[in-house]
Amino acid sequence: MPAEARPSLGSIALTFATIAATSFGGGQKASIRRQVLARGWIDSDRFLEGLEIAQVLPGPNLLNLAIYCGQKARGVPGAVAAFAGVSIPPFAIVLAAGALYFKFASNPFVHGGLRGCAAGALGLTLGNALELTWDERKSWLSIALVFATALAVSLLHMPLLPVLAIFGGAGILGEWLRARKRTEA
Amino acid sequence: MGTLIHLLSVFSQLSILGFGGGKGIIPQMHTDAVTTYRWVSSEQFTQFYTIGKLVPGPTTIFAALIGYAALPQRPLLGAAVATAAMFVPSSLMMIGFDSLEARFAASPWRTIVSRGLAPAIVGLVWSSVSTIARGAPSSVAAYVTSAVVVGLMLRTKINAPLLILLSGGVGVALLR
Repeated sequence: MPAEARPSLGSIALTFATIAATSFGGGQKASIRRQVLARGWIDSDRFLEGLEIAQVLPGPNLLNLAIYCGQKARGVPGAVAAFAGVSIPPFAIVLAAGALYFKFASNPFVHGGLRGCAAGALGLTLGNALELTWDERKSWLSIALVFATALAVSLLHMPLLPVLAIFGGAGILGEWLRARKRTEA
Repeated sequence: MGTLIHLLSVFSQLSILGFGGGKGIIPQMHTDAVTTYRWVSSEQFTQFYTIGKLVPGPTTIFAALIGYAALPQRPLLGAAVATAAMFVPSSLMMIGFDSLEARFAASPWRTIVSRGLAPAIVGLVWSSVSTIARGAPSSVAAYVTSAVVVGLMLRTKINAPLLILLSGGVGVALLR
């Protein structure tokens, strides 16, 4: 084990703060992996396990993964340090952006720029939807659930909790039956 | 005081339901923040979401901006409460899961749950597209910008914040 196997809480917070503050558009998981493995906070198998859990449970993947690593290194205080590290820099940055927004949004140039940015963010979301749908293409049940969910939310205005219970539940049931078939076969 | 309690209740519920990294909560957040409580307009909601994608860290940090707008007399307090409500409950679940981890080690349930939820999350992302479109500019130039961004995102490795900034440049020129 490298020397830093029991890191200080400050070093946990600072490590994740640096990653969070410089994580522009993805690549964070790779940089977390690099940092925590190099420092010997957890081993590679544990990290993969944590990545899986971070993605299954609700919450931003980056935040969940940092909490997992912090907790493995220093218990609950380590998790709290990781939480602070991931949330505080983006919070400060978004507040600064918000202060500028409320000051300058009515300026026609800024307003035009914001509208352009919004069109860009819409494009990114649409691209994301296309990519994620492509990932589901192997199962007709999945594709049907994708579009049933979208219609229930956008046309029938179904709230999030019943959406997850009904369409998420149906998806989980489908996966479970498929997994059972595989083990029987 | 009432607004603070509503912020807490809205964002902590979204936090607990934020499966799939929180990609699926945008439509419900719009219903709560725009339709039910009128903290922000649809246009502001879309612009805050855009800022969330532009700044480093989790996109859902834009909850802070909704809290900021919801409490104009104490914007920092509103922002802090909304952010805490957005991030703390899911983080507590993550911390609490540690004691259950041994029981779920290598459990097939993890794959079954994450794969099973995926189609519903993807459907919610499609709904997010229509939610975000409600507050985005509707003009030929804006639609072309969005379409070009889709193409660049799928075909190149240009990162997301840069694509947003490039679109902003188009906006300064064409969308005033």
